[in-house]
Amino acid sequence: MSGKDERGAELRELFFETAAELLQALNEGALQLEKTPADPEVVRSIRRTVHTLKGDAAACGYRELSELSHEMEDALALESASAHASLADVTFAAADVFTDMLAAYRRSKKVPDGSTLRAMIRKLAATPSAKKKTRKSDTKKSIGSQWTEYEQLTITTALEQGRSVVHVTVTLDPQCAMPIAGRQLLHSALKNLGDVLAQYPPASSSSVGRVVEFAVATTKTIAEVSARAKIPTVASKVKSELLEGRAAKTNKAASATAIAPTAPVVPAPALNLESVSHDPLAPSGTPHQPENILRVDAERIDNVLNLVGELIIGKSMLQQALNELVADDPKHPVRGKFVDAMGFQARVLNDLQRSVMKIRMVPVEQLFRRFPRVVRDVARQCGKDVSLVITGENTDLDKSILDTIAEPLTHLVRNAVGHGIESTTMRTAAGKPVQGTIRLNAYHQANQVIVEVSDDGHGIDVERVRAKAVEQGLISSEEAARLNETEVLRFIFQPGFSTAQEVTEVSGRGVGMDVVQSVLQRLKGTVDVDSRPGLGTTFRLRLPLTLAIIKALLFRVEQRLYAIPLNAVVEIARSVESEVHQVDHYEVLTLRNEVLPLVRLGRPVAFGSEATAKKLFVLVITVAERKFGLIVDSLEGEEELVIKALDDHAISTDLVSGASIMGDGRVVLILNLAAVIEHFARSRSAGTGSVLSGLLLSHADRARMSQSAAGGHA
Amino acid sequence: MKPVRVLVVDDSALMRKLIPQIIESDDSIQVVGTAMDGNFGLRKLEELNPDVVTLDLEMPGMSGIDMLKAIMRHHPVPVIVVSSHSTDGASVTLKALGLGAFDFVAKPNDVSTRMSEIAQELIAKIKAAAQGKGISVTPLPPALYKRQASKANPDLAAVPTRVVVIGVSTGGPNALQYVLSQLPGDFPGTILVVQHMPDGFTDMFARRLNETCAIQVKEAQSGDLLLPGRVLICPGNRHMKVKKLPLGSVAILTDDSRVNGHRPSVDVLFRSAADEFGSLTIAVIMTGMGDDGAEGLGAVKAAGGMTIAQNEESCVVYGMPKAAVERGYALRVVALEVLASTLQAQCSGDNSSRDRGLGGRSARAGQN
Repeated sequence: MSGKDERGAELRELFFETAAELLQALNEGALQLEKTPADPEVVRSIRRTVHTLKGDAAACGYRELSELSHEMEDALALESASAHASLADVTFAAADVFTDMLAAYRRSKKVPDGSTLRAMIRKLAATPSAKKKTRKSDTKKSIGSQWTEYEQLTITTALEQGRSVVHVTVTLDPQCAMPIAGRQLLHSALKNLGDVLAQYPPASSSSVGRVVEFAVATTKTIAEVSARAKIPTVASKVKSELLEGRAAKTNKAASATAIAPTAPVVPAPALNLESVSHDPLAPSGTPHQPENILRVDAERIDNVLNLVGELIIGKSMLQQALNELVADDPKHPVRGKFVDAMGFQARVLNDLQRSVMKIRMVPVEQLFRRFPRVVRDVARQCGKDVSLVITGENTDLDKSILDTIAEPLTHLVRNAVGHGIESTTMRTAAGKPVQGTIRLNAYHQANQVIVEVSDDGHGIDVERVRAKAVEQGLISSEEAARLNETEVLRFIFQPGFSTAQEVTEVSGRGVGMDVVQSVLQRLKGTVDVDSRPGLGTTFRLRLPLTLAIIKALLFRVEQRLYAIPLNAVVEIARSVESEVHQVDHYEVLTLRNEVLPLVRLGRPVAFGSEATAKKLFVLVITVAERKFGLIVDSLEGEEELVIKALDDHAISTDLVSGASIMGDGRVVLILNLAAVIEHFARSRSAGTGSVLSGLLLSHADRARMSQSAAGGHA
Repeated sequence: MKPVRVLVVDDSALMRKLIPQIIESDDSIQVVGTAMDGNFGLRKLEELNPDVVTLDLEMPGMSGIDMLKAIMRHHPVPVIVVSSHSTDGASVTLKALGLGAFDFVAKPNDVSTRMSEIAQELIAKIKAAAQGKGISVTPLPPALYKRQASKANPDLAAVPTRVVVIGVSTGGPNALQYVLSQLPGDFPGTILVVQHMPDGFTDMFARRLNETCAIQVKEAQSGDLLLPGRVLICPGNRHMKVKKLPLGSVAILTDDSRVNGHRPSVDVLFRSAADEFGSLTIAVIMTGMGDDGAEGLGAVKAAGGMTIAQNEESCVVYGMPKAAVERGYALRVVALEVLASTLQAQCSGDNSSRDRGLGGRSARAGQN
């Protein structure tokens, strides 16, 4: 057995080696084709290369690659294809896609589906003069229509006997869950009217096509037949017509008209089947290979993940119990065993968690894929010349996060093309290449995934943003003058803020950036912007790897337990109250010559000599590239937390994004850092006159606090 | 026992590694060399003098077809084509068989999951090729009959005199071509053929036969009528049965599981013909490995039908006919060269009376 595995591994290694050579040959063939288009010898050699690749991939079980190269090989066999102008492009694209696929196989990652290439290949093959296709349809004609020969015979015999035969075309109701049973029902209904001479698809077929045809010899009128066939919840559309003479021709025309209008209403999966079975190039009669891919409802995976979360809580409970045991009796005989077992369990749990998470992970390529088209379309609308460069598309991200950022990301890309990139004349004037470039990039950084959208346009005019912010009353002009560029740029994420001179179809209506921001906050991610005048703008989305489990730092404020994502924490500093200084209306701490704004989560200390000596912990965090210090009472350590979502009834503030349960049953609230900072910034610019503190205090606590503070000042 | 010495010719480095691995899992096979294209292949052929060659048809430089031609001309040795499923794969494979290739093995697209199955098939065919009498491509006789323009639109109500069922495997494509090309377009019987061949090949096979034969040849579809002057070839990976219906008789295709390890299986067709048509059945078992069809031939015999086995001399592999003959199921044993005229005689003339009695049978048996 292991010998076999070894052999397989060895073969695969050989495959990757030879495949690399084949791809090189493919690229060379494409280059040559550009020089001498439609050279039959070059086309043949490309086809041979693809053929070998197909066979080798199949032998190693790389189904996607083998199928795609198979399709390409078939397309290349068509005479029309070799004369096709885009053949070189398709070959280049094929080389790229195949390379990606190989890389994915090698790293056992998700294989790109190559749908773009497939579309290109199909286009090659779909040229009207395609030799094979015409031959195929020729034979089809000579064989007849969808009826079998015997059915045709029964129909013509019935017609010859002077009976009237009605051809009934029924479109099954899209809601009808069991098309096969539906066919059966229709058959029985029509049988009551006369003789059912023919049926397509045949009764024994397992086809789930949505269009069913019957030929019924009956004395009833067409209307009566239609009425009988219109079974509620089964048939959505019925068309009946009287057959005359040769059955075949009428049927052909009828089936064509029957299929066309139904296509849009069929649900997506059925539509696929439909289009496959009607694809003239699809190998006829080959049953679908069983896929080695399971389609699972995301909810089920979430359930598993939830249970894994519960297990992690269980692990903490055990750990807690063990700690208590050891505290009671440090030399307990089973302690060692217990520790070993716990260690083992922790490892397995870790693997389990990672495996489940991996199920949810998909490459961002799934999302990036749509952007070439978006860029092309928007560029066309604006009359600009823009290319899109995508990198890091194999970076994995939680599927639900990926789905959620689709819209904000689209907005950013549209904005980049519409506003970021200058018009062709401006670019020429600025001495830049006429073609603008949008870059989409994704990569892992620590426990986060970074998605970047950058353009090489004119950048954001900081001064205009500053002026606009003052104009819109978001900030006073004195304050505005004091803000640095990064701080100014943050205004573009304010609701209703737009610097675009005019409203265009593409963007510039002042909605969007704030939506981007709020979506990112909801995901516990951040967005920031980096702009250099004349060189371009980069938007950087920082996203958590997953939404379900975080590594968190636990701390206490006013006896209550809180947590923040560990990856937001830059360092933990210890200090004393006397080190905290007040500047304007907020507190700062000088940490290694850097002035750090502080956010006091609990109540401020009363004035007094013993109070100033009080030690405190400062958690230095970065949110959206800005550093803050959180003043907390005490630290509790780090822990993996399974986030339990809180509904709006449970909590009325956006400062808390979720909660979790500790091993000992304690509840910990997870802070939404972005919202905390937001609050902080808002109250600061509002200039309430008092030091911001007690963010996390209850209303009652805060009321008491402001009274005492007022008393203190007075 | 002396091992079978095999030369593997394939342009894929992977295949040059994989094929020896899988066929050498059988102790009686030894791969003596590999070659990456036709030129090397021919040189190694001279040098190593193998018993059997496995040949990939798609190669740069000298193509597989050119190499096959050269082998057959200068150094005849059994060649097994390792073929792939592509639009042209079937066509070129059938061409190779026409040029004298012993047989072929198709690499399905899910080859990796069916590796052991393919290995078994390849090993069996290599062994059969090594035991065979070398290669003897019976030259095709000149076409006896002109193609008829009208054969595309047959009269659906016509009734055949007899139902001829043919089962054939290795060596079949050439043998069938030989027999069918000698039948006239107005052949009074109807013919159904089970040729062991994977799906994707049978359609092309039927088309090629249809182009070169006077009689109509088509890949069967369920519900196709059994008409005089028509040959229905069972599609790969399905079974074919026959059924009498009120207005005529039809072929029915099913997806039942494999019989004797085959789908299509000759036994399935033969048994069904025996059940439906009894003494009106003429069953012919032709060249091929194994014993598929032998029991079915017995069933036809028991039902009072005519049973014919191809003789040893004209078989590429005398396996299936041998099994039938040894079990006493074959009423007649005939050479390929006279098979067409035998069928013609059986289906027409004095036998064309639609008697269902067994009277004629003993007389025919007596002729043997």
